[in-house]
Amino acid sequence: MTAEIKNRFLIPLSWITTEGNKTGSWRFLRPRFENKTAPCSAGCPAGEDIPLIEMLIAQGEFKEAWETILTENPFPAVCGRVCFHPCEGFCNRGSYDEPIAIHTMERFLADTASRYDFRASATDTPSHKERIAIAGGGPSGLSAAWFLSRLGYQCDVYEASPEVGGVLRWGIPAYRLPKDAFLQDLRHLEEKGVGIVTNKRIDEDFLKDKDDAYSAFIVACGHGKGQKMGIPGEDNPLVIEGLDFLKNIREEKSVGCEGTTAVIGGGNTAIDVARSVIRLGGKAVIYYRRRRGDMPAFDEEIRMALEEGVEIFELLSPAEIRRDNNQLLLSLQKMVVSGEESGRARVVPDGKKQETVRVDRVIRAIGAKPQEAWMNPPDNGADVQRLSHSCLVYKKGQKPVVYAGDLTNETKSVTHAIASGKQAAIALDVLFREGFAAVPKKLDLCRIGNGQAHSIEIYTGGRRKERSSHIVEFSEVNTDYFTFTPRIRPPLLLVEERRRSFNEITLKISAGIAIEEAGRCFNCGLCNGCDNCRLFCPDLAVIKNGEIRTINYDYCKGCGICVVECPRNAMSLEEEENT
Amino acid sequence: MDAELMQREFMYPGHVACPGCGAAIAMRFLLKALGEKTVMIIPACCWSIIAGPYPQSALKTPIIHCAFETAASTASGVRAALDMLGDTETTVVAWAGDGGTFDIGFQALSGAVERNDNFLYVCYDNEAYMNTGIQRSSSTPYGAWTMTTPGRDWKKMRKKNIVEILAAHRIPYVATASIAYPDDFIRKAKKAKEIKGSRFLHVYTTCPTGWRIPSEISIKIARMAVQTNIFPLYEVEDGTRYTINYRPREYLVREYFRMQGRFRHLTDKDLDQIQKMVDEDWQRLLSKAGQG
Repeated sequence: MTAEIKNRFLIPLSWITTEGNKTGSWRFLRPRFENKTAPCSAGCPAGEDIPLIEMLIAQGEFKEAWETILTENPFPAVCGRVCFHPCEGFCNRGSYDEPIAIHTMERFLADTASRYDFRASATDTPSHKERIAIAGGGPSGLSAAWFLSRLGYQCDVYEASPEVGGVLRWGIPAYRLPKDAFLQDLRHLEEKGVGIVTNKRIDEDFLKDKDDAYSAFIVACGHGKGQKMGIPGEDNPLVIEGLDFLKNIREEKSVGCEGTTAVIGGGNTAIDVARSVIRLGGKAVIYYRRRRGDMPAFDEEIRMALEEGVEIFELLSPAEIRRDNNQLLLSLQKMVVSGEESGRARVVPDGKKQETVRVDRVIRAIGAKPQEAWMNPPDNGADVQRLSHSCLVYKKGQKPVVYAGDLTNETKSVTHAIASGKQAAIALDVLFREGFAAVPKKLDLCRIGNGQAHSIEIYTGGRRKERSSHIVEFSEVNTDYFTFTPRIRPPLLLVEERRRSFNEITLKISAGIAIEEAGRCFNCGLCNGCDNCRLFCPDLAVIKNGEIRTINYDYCKGCGICVVECPRNAMSLEEEENT
Repeated sequence: MDAELMQREFMYPGHVACPGCGAAIAMRFLLKALGEKTVMIIPACCWSIIAGPYPQSALKTPIIHCAFETAASTASGVRAALDMLGDTETTVVAWAGDGGTFDIGFQALSGAVERNDNFLYVCYDNEAYMNTGIQRSSSTPYGAWTMTTPGRDWKKMRKKNIVEILAAHRIPYVATASIAYPDDFIRKAKKAKEIKGSRFLHVYTTCPTGWRIPSEISIKIARMAVQTNIFPLYEVEDGTRYTINYRPREYLVREYFRMQGRFRHLTDKDLDQIQKMVDEDWQRLLSKAGQG
């Protein structure tokens, strides 16, 4: 000490730090941490928190990642297989090299959950007195039950078939969705204590609720009845309904497939039927009235069908069916494109040009409708709210009814059905707590970004609520921190094996590959703790306390480096007030 | 970067560098690598100001402020004094700007490294005399506007290649580093610390004020300098062994120039000319590294 003081007389020696200079007063721009919304999550009909899921996979936290899916979607094993993954179309990484294989990641998590026997943690006990009946045990009905029980309601699902699942159990063929995969997801529903009543067909009187057992109803009976073509000869027993054909296969009944089968339609059911026919040793030919590019079936399905030997003829519309001994003569009207309607070709008959083919049976798969008329939601009125994925009806003197699933969804997919079940559950909860009129506004508050999807986590005030609704654009990602890496392709069964059996086509991937793929994710708008903000701050103004990062505005000069160097746009820079 | 390195700081906030100052970031990284047993010799440069007015100091290590031309000779003296005290542990660092290195302190530097005096000389290069108001130095790049190369009289001379000059002294270690590549920077600083004799680090430090750029792209500009090959990251050991540490994506130099106000007057033709110069320098470096 003495030496120090002596030195101070010899040469000037500093004895205080610069901390007294509150350089924060220089600032006219103010950075702050602000998690935002990733485009994939806003594009997912079920509103899964995809950037968080990928981040957790990349960190090897598979159980947490799986539970993050479960928060918004009770069907990871199903959706990891049959979802048409619109999320990947919105993925910002697609503007850089290739989108993240989000779909494959979901499947990976489901496989991992099954392998390590993950259980959904802490079941919340029913806390509300209202009890809700759900007609239909398909994806929308089961989802509604899942979300309602998470919101604290008791519910019972009524199903006409011997087992629940709807299209998941009886429609989609096993090579796309094995029975075990569906049962894996069904288990956490059962563990939630959802009452399931099978072999019970519901009729219109049920909604009148004579026993006064329920406080509300959800009608989610789906579209179970095939539409007719409306042509002569259609009632022939060799003309089969596509959904029935698929159901017979799933019930392990024998279905004859020898010879040539004509499949009419261009949707996923038509493709499923044709590919099943191939697997049963028959020849399958699809006739579609528009062009191949107009088919509503998923491109990947069409591509694989062609690989497996399905033939597709376009611009041919069935005109007449005649019996010829044990075979059918199918007359087809040639069509021409006359314009466009909603992104697809509009077609008209090409004069009287027809061709006739000889086939052993015709399978019709041109769409479906509700089995009974009362299942359709009523027309508009003051007591009817048409929501994005459901329809809420609350007539005076009656119990509230929500129509959901295929009955109300424009896009008829499993994921949209889940979205619908979620919306029905939230709508009923709002109705019970705050009344009929509050429903649209409350639903709007739990939307993800500006998209159609709702989040139950946002609705229940979880951490996701803190994120801004701004959807991160590609230009806002700092790609300097990423390198070009091709996306993974999951291994598939060989075509030869596919043609012979109903074994699942898409095989599993290893954890190492999944971690690598998830590491490609930009995690748009979501801080993953990379610490660039702290590392590059010239003013040591980014403070880390535990896992929480804050900005010390006493010293932050507002240079904005942290915001630009954040690879994922989890920070924002705003003009300082009072300057 | 590992958590322990992230955590340790030898700098205080409240220093008076401009917002977005690359030299402040460079000092943080250097001290993270070297640790507290370090003596800083700082001649006249931005950091004479940044370190704070008397009696403040922005560093947790001792600083000796010295005259403009004497960074290297002061470092030689401090090293000799520490050796006499038997302290071989402390790292002596001369921390000078480009003016104090390329121009004014040049003879002292050349003399000290010719004697292979045992210290680390770090030149933080912001490509002009910045704290006196942006005057050109021999480090200012071809094409740049400064207060002393204004208007049509923009600088027509090339930047002095200081690394080659130091390598020509055959000192044990010369390297370039950039604030945009912290891991590379810290690895080089740690490596330099362990070597005996004269060591030289040429550090690229963005100057938002003098380069007429928004402060938030400070790091981005530094990264682009590397990725355009304008500022390649490499090491030269014993004046002969060249190692290129980073193979860039090779963006066009015009992307780097178009972002900066100090180059705004350049025409496409000028930029083509500069691209040629950069390509030529890069080829020469590649051939020295045996990759040409």
